[in-house]
Amino acid sequence: MKHVPMTQRKDKPVPVRPPRERKADEAFDLWLHRGLHKLFDDVADEPIPPELLKIIEEDREK
Amino acid sequence: MSEALVFHDQVIAILPKLRVQALALTRNRAAAEDLVQDAVCNALSAQDSFIPGTNFAAWMHRILRNRFISNLRKRRDTTDIDDVPSSVFATDAAHEDRLALKELGHAMTRLPADQREALVMVVVHGMSYEALAQATGCAVGTAKSRVFRARRQLESWLLGERSERQAPRPQIRAERLLDEPSPLHS
Repeated sequence: MKHVPMTQRKDKPVPVRPPRERKADEAFDLWLHRGLHKLFDDVADEPIPPELLKIIEEDREK
Repeated sequence: MSEALVFHDQVIAILPKLRVQALALTRNRAAAEDLVQDAVCNALSAQDSFIPGTNFAAWMHRILRNRFISNLRKRRDTTDIDDVPSSVFATDAAHEDRLALKELGHAMTRLPADQREALVMVVVHGMSYEALAQATGCAVGTAKSRVFRARRQLESWLLGERSERQAPRPQIRAERLLDEPSPLHS
């Protein structure tokens, strides 16, 4: 997924900030983006528990 | 393909994202698994109320969120949501920035649950603010504000600069989330 810094999102009001702060913001956004993916991607990639799949499939058969 | 088949396939397809949302809310893997299962059971029971062609992801994320709120309501007399151990995010990142990642994980646990959820859904799921608003049952402005405040608070904690923008340490309690509308499961 392409990273779009929060400071560059279209729907965010344009901040009036010095260039140095904007650069720092973008660097922090990039680091935060990578860090959160490291923290959460493994969770998303874990296999679905069989008992949960069973619940869904049993409901599908109803 | 029948509607029932589509519905159940959609439930299965969204499970990874529900798991991430649940972890963002609960900060505990076991609790997150339980929350996902509870939300799925609620969704299956309420599947007749889902209108095909509408936003299934938003519908499902709201069910999980409302179930989380409902669970908080049941135990709010004894548990503050900040009491959950913060070690959950201390995952084994085998990188040179492992310490920084641990700090980020710890800082995430200190954020209010609604801000943590919003930040994760926008950054990790790549959700737009509009989709986040739909998924969490709030105004777009509120969704933007939650993400902005979460990001600013993390920056303040982790970089320790721009102290003039720093807010006090959040002491979010269950009541804060409970004040929000709970359209599907009260």
